[in-house]
Amino acid sequence: MSEKKKKNSLLARLFGNRNKEVDVMVEEQIQSPGKMMLDNFLHNRLGMTGLIVFILIFIFVSVGPNFVELDLGAADNTQLNVPPTTTMMSIPKQMKNKVQAIASGPTFGIGCDTDGNVYVWGHTKITETLDIKKVPEEVKKAKIIDVAAGYDHVVALDDKNKVYVWGNTRLGQDRIPDELAGTSRINKAGKVIQLEAGYQISGVVTEDGEAYFWGNSNMADIDVKSEYQGRIKKIAIATYNYCLLLDDGSVAYGGLKTGNPFANIPSSLSSGVVDIAASGETMAAVDQNGKITIWGSGTHGERNVPEFESKPVEIYGGRYHYTALMDNNDVISWGDNSHGQADVPNSVNNGDIATVFSGFYQNYAVTTTGEVETWGLKGHPLGTDDMGRDILTRIIHGGKTTMTVGAIAEVIALIIGVVLGAIAGYFGGKTDLIIMRITEVIGALPFLPFALLLSAIIGARIDVQLRMYLIMVVLGLLSWTGICRLIRAQILAEREKEFVLAAQAMGVKESSIIFKHILPNVMSILLVEATLGFATCMLTESSLSYLGFGITPPTPTWGNMLTGANNSVVIQQYWWRWVFPAAIFGVCTICINLMGDAIREAVDPKSLGR
Amino acid sequence: MKKYIIKRILYMVIVFFIVSFLMYFLFNLIPSDPARNQLEAMKTSLKPEQYQQMYQQLRLEMGLDDPIILRYARWMGLMPTVKNGFNGLLQGNLGYSLYFKKNIIEVVVAPMKTTIFLNIFSTILALGITIPLGIYCAVHKGSKIDNFTMVFTIIGYSIPVYIIALVFIFLFAVILRWFPVSGMGTPGANYTGLRKMLDMLYYFALPLIVITFGSLGGMTRYVRAAMIDALSMDHIKTARAKGVKEKTVIYSHAWRNALLPVITLIIGWFLGIFSGSVIIENTFSINGMGSLYIKALNSHDYDLALAMQMFYCVVSLVGALIMDLSYSFVDPRVRVDK
Repeated sequence: MSEKKKKNSLLARLFGNRNKEVDVMVEEQIQSPGKMMLDNFLHNRLGMTGLIVFILIFIFVSVGPNFVELDLGAADNTQLNVPPTTTMMSIPKQMKNKVQAIASGPTFGIGCDTDGNVYVWGHTKITETLDIKKVPEEVKKAKIIDVAAGYDHVVALDDKNKVYVWGNTRLGQDRIPDELAGTSRINKAGKVIQLEAGYQISGVVTEDGEAYFWGNSNMADIDVKSEYQGRIKKIAIATYNYCLLLDDGSVAYGGLKTGNPFANIPSSLSSGVVDIAASGETMAAVDQNGKITIWGSGTHGERNVPEFESKPVEIYGGRYHYTALMDNNDVISWGDNSHGQADVPNSVNNGDIATVFSGFYQNYAVTTTGEVETWGLKGHPLGTDDMGRDILTRIIHGGKTTMTVGAIAEVIALIIGVVLGAIAGYFGGKTDLIIMRITEVIGALPFLPFALLLSAIIGARIDVQLRMYLIMVVLGLLSWTGICRLIRAQILAEREKEFVLAAQAMGVKESSIIFKHILPNVMSILLVEATLGFATCMLTESSLSYLGFGITPPTPTWGNMLTGANNSVVIQQYWWRWVFPAAIFGVCTICINLMGDAIREAVDPKSLGR
Repeated sequence: MKKYIIKRILYMVIVFFIVSFLMYFLFNLIPSDPARNQLEAMKTSLKPEQYQQMYQQLRLEMGLDDPIILRYARWMGLMPTVKNGFNGLLQGNLGYSLYFKKNIIEVVVAPMKTTIFLNIFSTILALGITIPLGIYCAVHKGSKIDNFTMVFTIIGYSIPVYIIALVFIFLFAVILRWFPVSGMGTPGANYTGLRKMLDMLYYFALPLIVITFGSLGGMTRYVRAAMIDALSMDHIKTARAKGVKEKTVIYSHAWRNALLPVITLIIGWFLGIFSGSVIIENTFSINGMGSLYIKALNSHDYDLALAMQMFYCVVSLVGALIMDLSYSFVDPRVRVDK
């Protein structure tokens, strides 16, 4: 064996320069055909790369769905078109150990430290031009002591009792009452003790018991009945409504619009309430005995207050969950857990939590030593789509659907193709003629238009699950002709050989001659065909879904995730919505084709070029 | 030869009738009542019994209660209709589009021109690139360029065409701004003559590039494989031994033998892009047959969809016929076999 090893260039190494010099003794060594095929395949770099990457993707989409749950009905208008980010709970370093206040918006966080500086993190871009990160100059100069975050605006309070608003201010979010804005010299509000924000509304409570609300009042109920002014201790703002905690320990609905579920405050809350909070659709109160009462229209499990031993003293609301601070300085969370916002990490419950800041899907717990622990929505690693659904989750589940449909369609095509091809090839004559004519008629049907047609005619009247089976069957029924022709041609060649004659002479049944004696000889070619056909079925399914005639949303597939991506806005601004599904799908089909090619080369000795 | 051609055409006609019957049958599975549709407008002005009478008469005239084979024959134009004599597909009556409120023949002419233009243009482009490239790769088999092309072409034929379209729109329309994102002409512009032609070409450039690029992969590999087979034949060795110029060996001796499989491919591929342009036309909002077909299916205009489905069938049948005939033209052995 020559010891000299030719130094290959990177390109040659990558794209396989297999013309190695081999010793005659090694070269001529007798190998079984199966082992030779396996050897050939294993030494094909491209093929092996394809195989490995495909297996990885396969594991990713087949095991992944067990870990990531998909809610088909999910839609979240607070998370629309969020780019890939995982920094929604990443508090800046400068703020560590000096936390004064933290507030969470849907995709961003804002906080101020004890020195009065404001920090913003997460996905802060609201529109092309509006960005929460653009903190106004006057806010940067002022000493900020409290912050609050709404849906698309933030509110800050400085030590001179002045309130600032920035972010989206087009719907009156910045219509701060004169008393607070510092513009009116006569009507000065008392010192602000609480700052809160709702969907597009904001509110404050002053130390003399007055509450002020402002913002977009189209949907929101932000008027305050005058009988409560002067007695208000605390406010809690839900999406469009608020409630009041009065100085006599009772809870009141201060708005003028009655008849909504918030206005019916449970009678048990007429005294002894120590804290109130609001989620998006519910409100909660905790009384001096530690009893938590929830009212409103919430449907995300906000009412399922867990069992606890100690006594809750303070309560905080996110969008669909609540977090309560107990008297032993532990924390409990409950409600919607789609982003892990109700899963309090074990490290938090060491009995040293001083205060908690909750909002939307995030929780920040500040310990007595000033450390900040977080749980909830970190962000979306691959972004979200136009309905606020996580792209990563949909890619995992979509891959499972796409691969299942492709595989089953290919299996159907294989079964039909092999059986008909074998029968036609073995029996010949009239049987062959009829089968080949059927094949030609099916082959004459233009594939994509016909698949579209079947899907449109039958698919419109059946439900999603059945529709998926329909697509599999349609694809299978339309793509068997190639396999049928191939098997027929192979069988025609094989059936003239002696071993078939021998089998016939021994009286072996015809069906077992076909399927047990002849078919194993064409197995390798079948394998190639099946691999390449699998890729083709996946491609066709995704094309159908892309056109809206395959598997329809909300069930995700790699094809229908790209539906609607063909306009410049999506392509440019929301690139993550098409790049990731397209990339994984492209890589997957390339790998399958590489694999198929490698198998073809392995089973066909002619292709080695000797 | 003549006998062979007649045999093939006859055979094609039979397949056409089978396929069209299949289609007609499928479309008839959709519950619909054309007689009621036609009377719907007059419903309020008629008395109930009058309406009922007219409805029954119309049903009779339309032959809606006859067995499907009769209705098919009428629709096809093989049998006289109850009132109007022969008036079917064979007489050029494709039917009436409910969505466009026009005769189907008027609806499909413009889109058909667009689609045929698009497909023929991209075929020429693709052939112009793939044949030289395939031959080059076959002649320089194992060279770096060949290896690179082989890997590159796998990518080309593995990725679905709409992903290629998205990537190309992103690169050439959004980032470089060379071409428009979609459409068929500058909106609002009333160009005429050459200016109009250029404007259309400007808008069609990106779809053309995408179709061409999408077809490069498979075709290059195919041409290369056919050419390698042809180059390994004995007569090539003879020619080389005789000292024939390498150019003559490749382009005259080998290429002619490689032409046969390539012709199959070209025609098969041409048919493929006809149905494949459904995706391209939808992605680029081009008003061609494909997007019209989708529109017809989406708006439940099944008469239009059926007519277009027949168009696709005819295209693929004629394609198959041309493929067979050109086979026998290029390779005389085929004729003998049949």
